[in-house]
Amino acid sequence: MADLIIQILNGLNFVLVLIMVAMGLMIIFGLMNVINMAHGEFFLLGAYTVVVTNQIGLGFWPALVLAPLAVGLIGMFIEYVCIRHLYQRPLDTILATWGVSLAIKQLIIIFFGPAGLTVSPPLPWMISVAGINYPAYRLFIMTVALIIIAFTFYIFLRTDFGLGARAVIANRDMAATLGIDTRRMYRTTFTFGAALAGLAGAVMAPIMSCDPQMGLGFFIPAFLSILVGGTGTLYGVLAGGAIVGGGDSLFSYHYSPVIAQVVIFSLAIVLIRIRPQGLLGARNNE
Amino acid sequence: MLNITDLHASYGGSLILQGIDLAVKQGEITAIMGRNGMGKTTLMKTIVGLLPAMSGSIQLDGQMITHLKPHRIAERGVGFVPQGREIFGDFTVFENLKLATLRFPRQKRQIPSALFAYFPILEERKNQRAGSFSGGEQQMLAMARALVTHPKLLLLDEPSEGIQPSIVQEIARILRDINQKTGITIVIVEQNVDMILDLADTCAFLEKGRIVDTCPVDTLRKDESLITRYMAV
Repeated sequence: MADLIIQILNGLNFVLVLIMVAMGLMIIFGLMNVINMAHGEFFLLGAYTVVVTNQIGLGFWPALVLAPLAVGLIGMFIEYVCIRHLYQRPLDTILATWGVSLAIKQLIIIFFGPAGLTVSPPLPWMISVAGINYPAYRLFIMTVALIIIAFTFYIFLRTDFGLGARAVIANRDMAATLGIDTRRMYRTTFTFGAALAGLAGAVMAPIMSCDPQMGLGFFIPAFLSILVGGTGTLYGVLAGGAIVGGGDSLFSYHYSPVIAQVVIFSLAIVLIRIRPQGLLGARNNE
Repeated sequence: MLNITDLHASYGGSLILQGIDLAVKQGEITAIMGRNGMGKTTLMKTIVGLLPAMSGSIQLDGQMITHLKPHRIAERGVGFVPQGREIFGDFTVFENLKLATLRFPRQKRQIPSALFAYFPILEERKNQRAGSFSGGEQQMLAMARALVTHPKLLLLDEPSEGIQPSIVQEIARILRDINQKTGITIVIVEQNVDMILDLADTCAFLEKGRIVDTCPVDTLRKDESLITRYMAV
């Protein structure tokens, strides 16, 4: 029983961080029709920000602020140098961002080597939850993720900026003729999406082994979450993240990670066959 | 006020506008008429910057707007009501109107209350989802949305399309009213001859990507042969 509760909490942990990553990916896709293949590497860069602050003796906490800032800026730079030239060419952006992804991974290998690195865990004690001892730091991750998810929802559903962004998602041309600078909107959202992934990478770094491939472990399920949940609405990401992340954790625990992958992929394929627009997705009106 | 010279533009690979020349006078209501596929919508989209002009120029109050981005053209005071209205169905009426103000600094994002004098129904249903509106109501919303920021030029693309006749008359009345009270210049693309005879001051006929004839609407009222020539299928 205790074991099960721990597994559920671990699963929840994964789901919440996954939603953080997937939200960024979804917002970028929804606004710009760009499938950002380098999104996992934004996660990676966030994690390695923690590696760096650890190596230079600053410890974990400064990275919590530095990671989203640094990764956001890197995202802004990539948008400026590469992606903005490729809007209206979705296939090319897949190739281009894939190239960016490879380049970032290789740069990490050049600077840090291919081996997994660990960082000393902050908050290295246990907290009693429902009579079970659970790592305090994992609870901290969940809190951060919940706050960030709520914050993102607030930005997109309650602020003027969010209204403009949703208008661009729904009808780009009409939004532009109403005076919305869609180019600026793209840059801002790409930066925001990158920062989200960077922060997710940073909070996960202490409980993962940091290696150049770690981004993939979040990019693929994030991508599946969007396919399953549907694009165009943030609620879809919640549903998709819960199904993909939750299913993955559940099957990994009961059977094995390999079975979990097979089940999740099969489920995704079947669902996309039945409902191409995803569970909560609206049909694209373009 | 709006001066278009030798404008060429293509859409979907074929050259649709083949040298448009059009001069719209300040404060007038100008109708652009012509059969389907003659380039009316392409012309509208090129003016607002959604389609690139291949050659020629578009001037607004003496300033070139030919190669500006759509949001820059909106900033210069061009309001656009597209064909099919294109309101944001998932948003409330208020949110649809609010969108037009987002380019202003935060403290200047009010929706002028005078606007609701022309469209009282929108004030009553401010918080209703725009997608639940009838075609005529959506058309009013699209017009109000284009007028929120007090543009000096209002472009409408087939506002009567798919709307019941009584509402078409209502729309024509509102446009006339706004034109007289604010002096706004209006360019309207329309196939509904009655609406144009009722509303416009000048009429320009578009055929095969060119303006082939322009005349005061008074002339058309007396002699409808031009209409037959350019509109009959």
